[in-house]
Amino acid sequence: MSLVDRTQIKRALVALGAIALLYGIAAEIGRWALPHRIWMDVHYIENVELLPPYRSLGEEMAFLLESWILPSSIAVSTGRVLCGFVLGSAIGILIGLATGRALRLEYLAEPWLMLLRFTPALALLPLYVIWFGYGEASKILLIATNVAVVTLLGAHQGVRAVPQVYLDAATSLGASPRLAFWKVVLPAALPQIFTSLRIALGLAWVTIVVAELIDAKMPSLGYLLTLAGAYPRVPTMLIGIGTIGALVLACDLFALAVYAKATRWMRRTG
Amino acid sequence: MATQRFLLGLASLVGLLVAYTWVSNRLSQPEVIPPTQAIAEAFVDLIAGPRQQPAADQPVHMGHHAHSSDHVEVLLQQGVTLQASLAITTARVLFGLVVGAPIGILLGLLMGLSRRVNDYAHPLYVLVRSIPPLALITYIMLWLGHREPHRLIPIVYAVATTMVIPTYHGLRDVASTYVVAGRSLGAKGWLLIQKVLLPAASPAVLTGLRYAVAIAWMTAVGSEMLMAENGMGNLIVGGGMWASRLQTRSDPAVVIVGILALAIAGWVMDVGARVLTIRLTRWAR
Amino acid sequence: MSPSGSPRIRLEATEVGYTYPGQTPTRALEGLNLSVVENEFVALLGPVGCGKTTLLRIFAGFLQPTTGIVRCDGASIEGPSWQKGYVLQEAAIFPWMKVRENIEFGLLAKGMEAPARRALSDELLTLLGLSAFEAAYPKELSAGMSKMVEVARVLATDPSILLLDEPFGALDAQTRARMQDELARLWEQRRKTVVFVTHDVEEAVYLADRIVVLSPRPGRVKQQFSVSLPRPRSLDTRFAGTFSSLKREVWQVIG
Repeated sequence: MSLVDRTQIKRALVALGAIALLYGIAAEIGRWALPHRIWMDVHYIENVELLPPYRSLGEEMAFLLESWILPSSIAVSTGRVLCGFVLGSAIGILIGLATGRALRLEYLAEPWLMLLRFTPALALLPLYVIWFGYGEASKILLIATNVAVVTLLGAHQGVRAVPQVYLDAATSLGASPRLAFWKVVLPAALPQIFTSLRIALGLAWVTIVVAELIDAKMPSLGYLLTLAGAYPRVPTMLIGIGTIGALVLACDLFALAVYAKATRWMRRTG
Repeated sequence: MATQRFLLGLASLVGLLVAYTWVSNRLSQPEVIPPTQAIAEAFVDLIAGPRQQPAADQPVHMGHHAHSSDHVEVLLQQGVTLQASLAITTARVLFGLVVGAPIGILLGLLMGLSRRVNDYAHPLYVLVRSIPPLALITYIMLWLGHREPHRLIPIVYAVATTMVIPTYHGLRDVASTYVVAGRSLGAKGWLLIQKVLLPAASPAVLTGLRYAVAIAWMTAVGSEMLMAENGMGNLIVGGGMWASRLQTRSDPAVVIVGILALAIAGWVMDVGARVLTIRLTRWAR
Repeated sequence: MSPSGSPRIRLEATEVGYTYPGQTPTRALEGLNLSVVENEFVALLGPVGCGKTTLLRIFAGFLQPTTGIVRCDGASIEGPSWQKGYVLQEAAIFPWMKVRENIEFGLLAKGMEAPARRALSDELLTLLGLSAFEAAYPKELSAGMSKMVEVARVLATDPSILLLDEPFGALDAQTRARMQDELARLWEQRRKTVVFVTHDVEEAVYLADRIVVLSPRPGRVKQQFSVSLPRPRSLDTRFAGTFSSLKREVWQVIG
């Protein structure tokens, strides 16, 4: 990511401002143009604001913050994501490095890795719930599994993609296999590992959202959405969605910054 | 090399299968770790469909039950079979790809071609893609009700957002040299796009497509697990049993069968995407 | 060989042949005989594909000859080692390490402590005029400077044999001339046994004591030339009459 210049920042702000404005206008129009009663499965619900105006959103936000619902949900969901992420990436990277170095290990692990790779991330949830119950364990392990699969691939490919010239140069300079791994293979593989970590973080959030949509316990961001959907209380819903989006964005930007720092030795393209 | 790969892979599969059969039978906790036979039984049941109940005058065999578990029972009563569910989910995935990919590619092209468009659109895109597709489901339901578009929109959205960045990068990083060359040869506008830009960016786009396929499967199954009466997600989750959480009797054998089926289907599609990539980028080899 | 009188043979190839495996095996070398004597600067010349790189990799210990014998100091070559400093044709400078770290890598492999490493890398940086760049990442260096860092890296462990594979091939003419001067100067200061692969006749005549011309694939020694131009070589050397006539002779052999 190259440094942004002033025009770009200006244009970004214009775009965001325009969208904010458009939403405000749409919400006002929606007040009398959109239906106010919604058919929900078995009956009508009255007084639904499909596009809540900023005032409603503001009031709802204040309520959610005061009642501590939103902050606690954020804390719990983020905690789960981070636990699963750390666990999953540690396992994934270790295994990925191992399979990258030893061809035989790769061949042994290959069928299972393929199986995991092509299993849609969420399909394992029912299995984990059966095995680990409805608590924290099943959610964190689900996130860890998905993260591990992605980081494993990243570490594996990173190790494999190290150009032979570097390995040859290291050997002819007298490096032992251990030194070559720590000082040549690992640093060369790091960019790919970091990229996979970034992708895995996004995936972790996607996973937790679904896992929490089903879980029936507060505090939790996913369940906040489900609850909001049950009434329905649209401002809560939108705030919930927005919060999740903001958290995902924050994580992604952080991951990007870490990546940039760790690969400052790389030549930047274009 | 290749034989060693095949043999070790095979050994690993067989080895774990044998180990699992032994462990699962030893443990005899079929509700948690289903023995391999139970998995096979569930598989057969789900393919064959509802079995005929034995007629009144025929002897009932000892220990015979209609189907391998309640979960399977419920599914079969609803007329669910493995093939049908897989077909439905595949259809949803394909729909999401066919509709979502062009949208994403178009956006990526627009952003990649014009600095201006990119400056305005990129921040919005970053915001939009930060929202997990399935988080939107509850909100969309309010607008569209509990109907098919409700399930398909997250898939389309997920595919579209996934395809934007690979297209953008394919254009910016890869194609820029070719653009300069093409332009200096006099090519302009549509000709430039068609003959130079698209082919040059296609390797990156096709790689993105493989990733989008995986995302599409994940979103499809996820949305089916949350709210659908058919499809693989529904099968895994027990045909409505999820809602009645208190009576969780979902059968892990069914879940495993479902996961295996999904993994194979996903693999097949990935192979297809890879073949497509090779075909369309022959010049890059 | 005897310690007094005739000089020691460092590298020896006897009837060496190498065939690359694959669907269509390629015979890169056949029946090649070559001896390199201590502190001799030998240039390996030949057309593209004649097996120069293959021979160098065999000397470096990365390949085992399919036929024939190679020896280093009388013993068979087991594999790469720091005693045979090897600079590849491609860029092999480690991009994630700064210049100084790159140079110190071989010393790290030897288990040398940090202060000792630093002293040695200081010396080399000064010797090659790279001191200003000690804390720079390779991405900030020009191609020529990168190559010099690689040479410095190889020199750090003080091997007595240097194997260089067209190290200046990717550089422009001026930089190449400058690098050749650098190398010649270095060699004057610290004599080593050098095998230098190139396709550039001028480079070979300028740098070497002996020029070995290889035939096209499969490569074998076609002809050898003794270069008796006075040392140290300089810009004047390039314009001497003997220089040009030797060049012409070599060109005619390459054909």
